[in-house]
Amino acid sequence: MSEPNVPQAPEAAEVPAGPYVYDYKAAPYRQIAMPKTVPLPSHRAYVAEQKAAAEADEAKWQKTLADYETAKAKAEAEGKDAPKPPVRPVPRKDDNDMKPPVPQEATDADLLKLKELLGDKVEEIFEQAGELVCQVKKEAIHEALAFCRDEAALKYEMLADQSATHYPAAKDYACSVVYHLTSISRRKRLRLRILVPEGFAPESACSLYPSANWMEREIYDMLGIRFQNHPDMTRILCPEDWEGYPLRKDYPTVGWGQRDIAFREDRGGMLERIALQKAGQLGINLKQPKAD
Amino acid sequence: MFKNEEMEINLGPQHPSTHGVLRVKLRLDGETVTHCRPMIGYLHRGVEKICENQSFFQGQVWTDRMDYCSAVANNLGWAEANEKLLGITVPRRAQYIRTLLNEFNRIASHLIWLGTHAMDIGALTVFLYAFREREDVLDINEAFCGSRLTTTAFRIGGLREDLPPGFEKMVRKFLAKFSDCLEEYEALLTENRIWKKRTIGVARLSAEDAIALGVTGPMLRAAGVAYDIRKAFPYAAYEEMDFEVPTRTEADTYARYQVRMAEMRQSARIIQQCMDGMPEGPVMAKLPKILRSEVNEVYHATESPKGEIGYYLVGEKGSLNPYRFHVRAPGFINLQSLPKMAEGGLIADVVAAIGSLDIVLGEIDR
Repeated sequence: MSEPNVPQAPEAAEVPAGPYVYDYKAAPYRQIAMPKTVPLPSHRAYVAEQKAAAEADEAKWQKTLADYETAKAKAEAEGKDAPKPPVRPVPRKDDNDMKPPVPQEATDADLLKLKELLGDKVEEIFEQAGELVCQVKKEAIHEALAFCRDEAALKYEMLADQSATHYPAAKDYACSVVYHLTSISRRKRLRLRILVPEGFAPESACSLYPSANWMEREIYDMLGIRFQNHPDMTRILCPEDWEGYPLRKDYPTVGWGQRDIAFREDRGGMLERIALQKAGQLGINLKQPKAD
Repeated sequence: MFKNEEMEINLGPQHPSTHGVLRVKLRLDGETVTHCRPMIGYLHRGVEKICENQSFFQGQVWTDRMDYCSAVANNLGWAEANEKLLGITVPRRAQYIRTLLNEFNRIASHLIWLGTHAMDIGALTVFLYAFREREDVLDINEAFCGSRLTTTAFRIGGLREDLPPGFEKMVRKFLAKFSDCLEEYEALLTENRIWKKRTIGVARLSAEDAIALGVTGPMLRAAGVAYDIRKAFPYAAYEEMDFEVPTRTEADTYARYQVRMAEMRQSARIIQQCMDGMPEGPVMAKLPKILRSEVNEVYHATESPKGEIGYYLVGEKGSLNPYRFHVRAPGFINLQSLPKMAEGGLIADVVAAIGSLDIVLGEIDR
């Protein structure tokens, strides 16, 4: 007599030991796509890039010409018809209303004044899309802000916005911090920018512009940049015991603290199971009837 | 000897007069506030992170849901920031329609503010009157884009559709009655003795403090600074519009009420001009099918009903989504001034101060 068909007891699910660690292989859609480029606008970089592109284009054209000459000489030697001479390609012109703005050389009086006041503490000045940008050395930001606020020719009374961006692909810095200043009396806007490496704490702007208080707290909360001499350097939007800095590029968008269910793979099956279960409760037979 | 003891209490997070989930930690000496600390973050959804991982177009629905009372104004700032980043010129007719809807939104937002603020202080009647007219504005939103609250009204480069048939009639009908409605509200409040006692001299914020704390919008204009981004840095079709920037110098809650009431009149004026001078032509710029940015960073600020709403975008070369998406929420910055206004005052006036800030926590926490 054979053994009765006893269903096997299900194996106990493995309990993960220790703190929860991501298993990216188990959930491949949670992979973080780290940026490969450093999109930091800069007039100097733009000019260098354009020059390199023009040189590469010229080199390519010279190579095409040389290839043509050899091919022509070869054809003549073999007594065949000469190949067609190459035509230099003209860059395609798009006929639409989109013209992305490019960085331009600084001509505005405010930028030149700042350059004059700060000397070699200014790393770069340029204009783009009608906005004035001044990048200063990270140690000189407090001085630059003080000039912007107090200098009679500048008079930027309000710090409208302060924000930061994470650039993991950059070599000598980790984040940029930008200050958007508004001059109410002169109707002007200016962007100050500093580049900070990992672990560097820039001087807080709170003593000059009290509005920086919450904005710097937000930057600390979201990107992990601490500010020196800030009256209250605590998290503002996330809970105090939150781990990690959400707006960094290495922070995942899905699944931090979620249950590890592979929804995307299982979705079809799960919906089917739920539908069958519901139908069974209502006494409906959803399964295909057997063909007689 | 009478001994003063300080008491610490929490106003909120679940208090109806905090307009969302705002928690204010107060230290009281009797009924006087000695220390005030707003605590936010209860509605933090990570809008910036989400928008960085979606294409340029998809960010718009999140701007609706930040400040649901002024969705159109948020959409406008978002659309113009993206257009600045990508270098897009928008047709003039689209600019006019945007201006028109934005002003309707200002009226709707101020009406919500008026109703709820008066209700916080104890004048219940105005709420019902204000929401009656707001319903008409929402109907106009619905006629234009099919949605009443979270509008998603614009597209990068213009508008998805032109004005629907019968739209002008709706607008004219609204304009014909709106100034009478404003007089109705003012009849209920402006000379109301209780309203004046609860608002005059309450929650003062001087012009110097307001500028130092980055406060913008009606709060700043009630302190005597005529700073309106529509005038200072004109965008959309505001350069062609004839309107005034109402200001007061008292810098208290009553002055803010007066400024906002005057602003609604100016909004109606702008709508009238938009409707009269509506140019013909296309409503959408000619764009490539897929929008790819160059390396660029922009900060674009517009005047939302609450103050300056700014979008800071960073573009990556050849990318379909913004590398960085940051919102300068007016409520977030304006709320910083609450301790300045509340400390030294009575606890009942904290509610008036919060009301006069006109905050929406969805936008503050993002």
